[in-house]
Amino acid sequence: MNKILFGRYVPGTSFVHRMDPRAKLILSLIYIVAVFMANSWSAYVVSFIIALTIIASSGIAPKFFWDGVKPLIGVILLTVVIQVFFGVGGHVYWHWGILSITSDGLLNAVYIAIRFVLIILVSTVLTLSTSPLEISGAIESLFMPLKKIHFPVYEMALMLSIALRFVPTLIDETEKILNAQRSRGANFSSGSIMARLKKLVSILIPLFESAFNRAEELATAMESRGYQGGEGRSKYRVLNYTKNDIIGTIFMMASVALIMVLRNWS
Amino acid sequence: MHKINRNISATAIIAALYVAITLALAPISFGVVQLRLSEMFNHLAAFNKRYIFAVTLGVLIVNVFSPLGPIDMLFGTAGTLIGTTLTYFCTRKVTSLVGKFTIATICQLPGMLLVDLEMHLYSNLPMFPTYWILAAGEIASMVIGAFLIYLISTKVDLYK
Repeated sequence: MNKILFGRYVPGTSFVHRMDPRAKLILSLIYIVAVFMANSWSAYVVSFIIALTIIASSGIAPKFFWDGVKPLIGVILLTVVIQVFFGVGGHVYWHWGILSITSDGLLNAVYIAIRFVLIILVSTVLTLSTSPLEISGAIESLFMPLKKIHFPVYEMALMLSIALRFVPTLIDETEKILNAQRSRGANFSSGSIMARLKKLVSILIPLFESAFNRAEELATAMESRGYQGGEGRSKYRVLNYTKNDIIGTIFMMASVALIMVLRNWS
Repeated sequence: MHKINRNISATAIIAALYVAITLALAPISFGVVQLRLSEMFNHLAAFNKRYIFAVTLGVLIVNVFSPLGPIDMLFGTAGTLIGTTLTYFCTRKVTSLVGKFTIATICQLPGMLLVDLEMHLYSNLPMFPTYWILAAGEIASMVIGAFLIYLISTKVDLYK
C-alpha cells in the first residue's frame, strides 16, 4: 500500500536527479505556464521536444511515464469529446441540435489533449526524480520569504516532514483495522448507503483514536528532547544550487522564449 | 507540555491521516456514486483551528503526488485553505453540530471556484456550468462527510 505514495520516486543519479528540488519545482511551473501560452502547432511541437529532452535527461524508463498518464486518460477523453461536440468557430462539418463538429472545435480538442499529456509528463518527471523529503525541503525553502509576515515556516516544514514520516504507518494501520473488521465478518461492499457508512465508522473511530494517541506520544517525545521551535536549528540535508541547476535554468528559459516567439509569430 | 509541540504533532498526524484515508480508503464507493471520504476532513475546521493547517497540509501532500503535480498543489491546496479557514471563522460562535456542518458545507463552495478555474484553464470547460456540477459533487461529499464526522464526534473528542 505504501507504494501508492512513495513508490513513485525512482532513485537515480541522472542530470535531473542531481538538480536542486527547488529549481525542479520552479522550472516545472514555468514550463506548465509556457505550455498554457502555446497556441500553435509549432509551439506545441517545441513544447513536446522540451518534454522529451527533460524525460531523456532524467534517465527514467518510459513505462513510469505511462503510469502517470494512465489515471487521467478518462478525463482527457471526456475533455476531448466535450471540445469536439461543443466547440464553435471555423468550418462546420456536422450539426445536430446543440451539438456540432467544427474545425476550431477539433483543433482545440487536439491542443487540449496535447497540453494535458505534456503537463502530466513534466509533473511526473518532478515526482519520479525527487524524493518526498526533498520536495518537503524545497517547499520549506521557497516559503522562507513568508517568515517576514510571521508565517511559521519552520513549524510548517517540521509538520510536513512528520506527516510524510507517518503516512506509511497510518496506511498500514488502516489496512490492519480493515482486515480486523473483515475477519469479524464486516462486508464493506454490500448493504444500503447508510449501512455502509455505519460500517465505515468502525474503521474511522479507531483510526482517529490511534492518530490522536500518536500525536500525544509525539508531543511528549518532542518535549523530552527539548524541542523549542525551529529558529536556529541546523539541517541534515542542506540544499545547494549547482551547475546542473544553472544549465537547467538556461535551457528552460531558452525554451520558454522560443515558445513565446512562436506564439506571437503565428 | 509546550502548546507548540502539541499543536505541531497533532496537526502533522491529522495531515498524515488525511493522506492515509485518501489513499487507503479510495476504493470504497457506492456503485456509480464515488464517495470522496477525505472531504469529511473539511468539517473538522469547525471544531478546532488546528485542522485548517492539518487538512491544507494533507491536501498539499496528496497533490504533490498527483499526475498534474504543481498545478494541483497551487489550486487544490489554496481551495482547501479558503474552505477550511472560512469554516473555522464562520462556525466559531455556532454551538449546534447541525449548524456547524451546514455552514462548513456552504463554506467549501468559494474554494471550489479555484478548482473550477483550474479545470477551465486545463480543459477550456465553461466556468459556470462546470462550477455547479463541481459544487453539487462537493455538497454531496460534504453531507456524507457530516454524517461520518457526527458519528466519530460521539466517540472521539474533536475539540481537543
